Amino acid sequence: MNQRAHATSVLAKRRILETLISPGFYIAQTIGLVLAYLLVAGFVRAIDSSGFNYALNPAYELIGRSLVGAFGATFVEKLFSEGPFLFTLYIAFLPVLLYLAVSSVFRFGLEKKVGALELLAYGPADGTSCFLAALIKDILMTAIYLVVLLVFLLISGLLNNLILGPSFYYSLIILFFLSIAIYAYGIFASSLTDNSASAIAVFLGLILFFIIIMMGSFTVVSGYVRNLASVFAWIVKWISPLFYWDLALRVVEVSNWGMYFAGIALLLVLSALVLFFSHLTIKARGVRS
Amino acid sequence: MKALRTTAALLLMFCAGMLFADVPVREEQFIYSILAFNGKDYAGTFARKEADTLYLVADVDNFITVRNVFVYFWPITQDWKTDTSTLNVPFEGTLELSGREAEPERLGMTPYTYYNIRGEYELNWKVAKEAEAEAAWQRYQGLMDAYWQSISGYYEKRAMYEAMLNQLTVTITKMRDEGKDVTALIDTLKELKAPPEPQYPTEYIVPPVPVQNAFILNLPVGEYRIRFFSEDGQIMEGSERRIVAFEKRRAEAIGLEVIPGDKWTRPVESKTPASVLYIDGSTDLYLRPFLQQEYNDLFYEKMRKNDAKGNPTLMKWVRIQQVPRARVEVTRPSAESQMVLEEPFYVEQVKGAALGYQIVPFDPEGKHKDREPSLQAFHVPVSKDQRVIRLRVQDKEGQYLSSSERQIRVITPSRIGILSLILAACPLIVMIIVMTRRSRRYSS
Repeated sequence: MNQRAHATSVLAKRRILETLISPGFYIAQTIGLVLAYLLVAGFVRAIDSSGFNYALNPAYELIGRSLVGAFGATFVEKLFSEGPFLFTLYIAFLPVLLYLAVSSVFRFGLEKKVGALELLAYGPADGTSCFLAALIKDILMTAIYLVVLLVFLLISGLLNNLILGPSFYYSLIILFFLSIAIYAYGIFASSLTDNSASAIAVFLGLILFFIIIMMGSFTVVSGYVRNLASVFAWIVKWISPLFYWDLALRVVEVSNWGMYFAGIALLLVLSALVLFFSHLTIKARGVRS
Repeated sequence: MKALRTTAALLLMFCAGMLFADVPVREEQFIYSILAFNGKDYAGTFARKEADTLYLVADVDNFITVRNVFVYFWPITQDWKTDTSTLNVPFEGTLELSGREAEPERLGMTPYTYYNIRGEYELNWKVAKEAEAEAAWQRYQGLMDAYWQSISGYYEKRAMYEAMLNQLTVTITKMRDEGKDVTALIDTLKELKAPPEPQYPTEYIVPPVPVQNAFILNLPVGEYRIRFFSEDGQIMEGSERRIVAFEKRRAEAIGLEVIPGDKWTRPVESKTPASVLYIDGSTDLYLRPFLQQEYNDLFYEKMRKNDAKGNPTLMKWVRIQQVPRARVEVTRPSAESQMVLEEPFYVEQVKGAALGYQIVPFDPEGKHKDREPSLQAFHVPVSKDQRVIRLRVQDKEGQYLSSSERQIRVITPSRIGILSLILAACPLIVMIIVMTRRSRRYSS
């Protein structure tokens, strides 16, 4: 156990260093921050004497209309009631989340394919320590980016006389734990497959599946489609990180802090379970493709 | 030649088809007609045959009738409508209501009426059933009959008054022409007063509707099933429906209706304390605090209109009624808090070619004499140099109302906004530094 912890620590340090000296993470961050800048600037330009009017900005008009069509006017009203930052947070976080998750899945699959993992497994490390190292790297990079994003948005808020709002902070915290569960699913997808392409396909397929199920029950649809989505959602929700994310955000709206932290704890439990299954899969299948 | 004639005939037929507008297809359907209480008033909707669920607010009286009507889809407003002018056949019978646990219950139709009596504010709805309904209707009829009688009497008196006035005027003119003294007649003329016009009964904001029969559903929160039995005891085909009785989740919050001075037709609503009103500070604001209740978005929308869409996972605040005799505390940076009281205002159209309105204080003695104020609101002056204005609402006793705090933030385009873009590029700068240092290290 100590040996695995040591191997994980060494591998994690190595991976963190590799991430910090390669351009991908910085480019993903810049994309996220530029998107955040554009959204905040667009919001400021869409303010008139009666408040935020998304029809005043072409980009926001497109976003607003699409969101109203998909999720209803109440959703959009709530999304922008405290300002632009809640929406901006999710949009600006996506590039880094995708970059970290997909790059880890890709690398794990590649190392498996070319036999690098097998080579490591002959030495002090095993498959589990490799994926734990990747997870630690992703968690740390996510934390760094969330802090960078928070500072950036605070400065943007100060410059434009905007405030971040309580919903933003609740979402920021839960987003961190949601990303851990997503990375865990990335590892699970890698452990199931033999190469990068199939690992990425399985991972994106899983996430897309969770999103569709979530949106199906969330979306403004009626009758048969929603009923079908609700039945699926009821079955799948227990393994979907999006369910716990949504649960936590819904209960915090009525200041139910206990359930909010329970939602966070459940996300951690789900991540641990997915990692445990990944560990079992790697143990059963080995690290050789 | 024959081919040409055939083509022309076909073209004419085609054009004739285009000349007639598309008429929506009307389909005879068995529907549930619903008069549901939505927290602030009664509104009607209907559940067509495809609608499997009726949504009602729990623990209030809702009225259901069943009938055959023509139903059609109206593409302009994208909703379903009934054509009751052509077909409207109400059914008499009983409604079987079954809950999750209780035994099925058979409900008969009950005569009812509903009305809203005038109070301090608008939420004074009353429902009268059976004998009470008839009494309420008769009382209203009595009031209206008395009013129309007094109107009739008024017109008679008015005619007499005008005839007398005319006669006196003619007599005075004639006597004056003859050089006689008309002082006494002029005094009589001065004393002559027009009869007062009777006042329309003000007891009701919404008068009672004529007594009708309906199934009155006042259900606790839960899911139920209903089906309709006709008078001969047969189940009406296609009458089975689910009923969702729902309640408000919260009711403690205060909302604010915000009317900008230059766009009084486009008010916005601020519904939660965390919500911030961002404005450009170009005009003053007029506020109206209101009590609100929180409902499930899908349930509420479907209760108001059964074929509406809504989001089942969201809760929405619904405006119920104005806060009675409220006061608004306005706090500006580096200034004492100021208590703003409700005042009457008048909306004037902007003079000249420019379109728009402006809200001005109501002047009952001056230029707005004999007019009614356009709105009663709390005036909050706004200027571009005051970046944050905080608001809190007090009730009539001077107590601060919970969840009534709001922020107004004045947004002006920032000259240093570009600084954000430079900051956004910081990770790229870090990347260049890291890569340059690495390439230098390896090249050396």
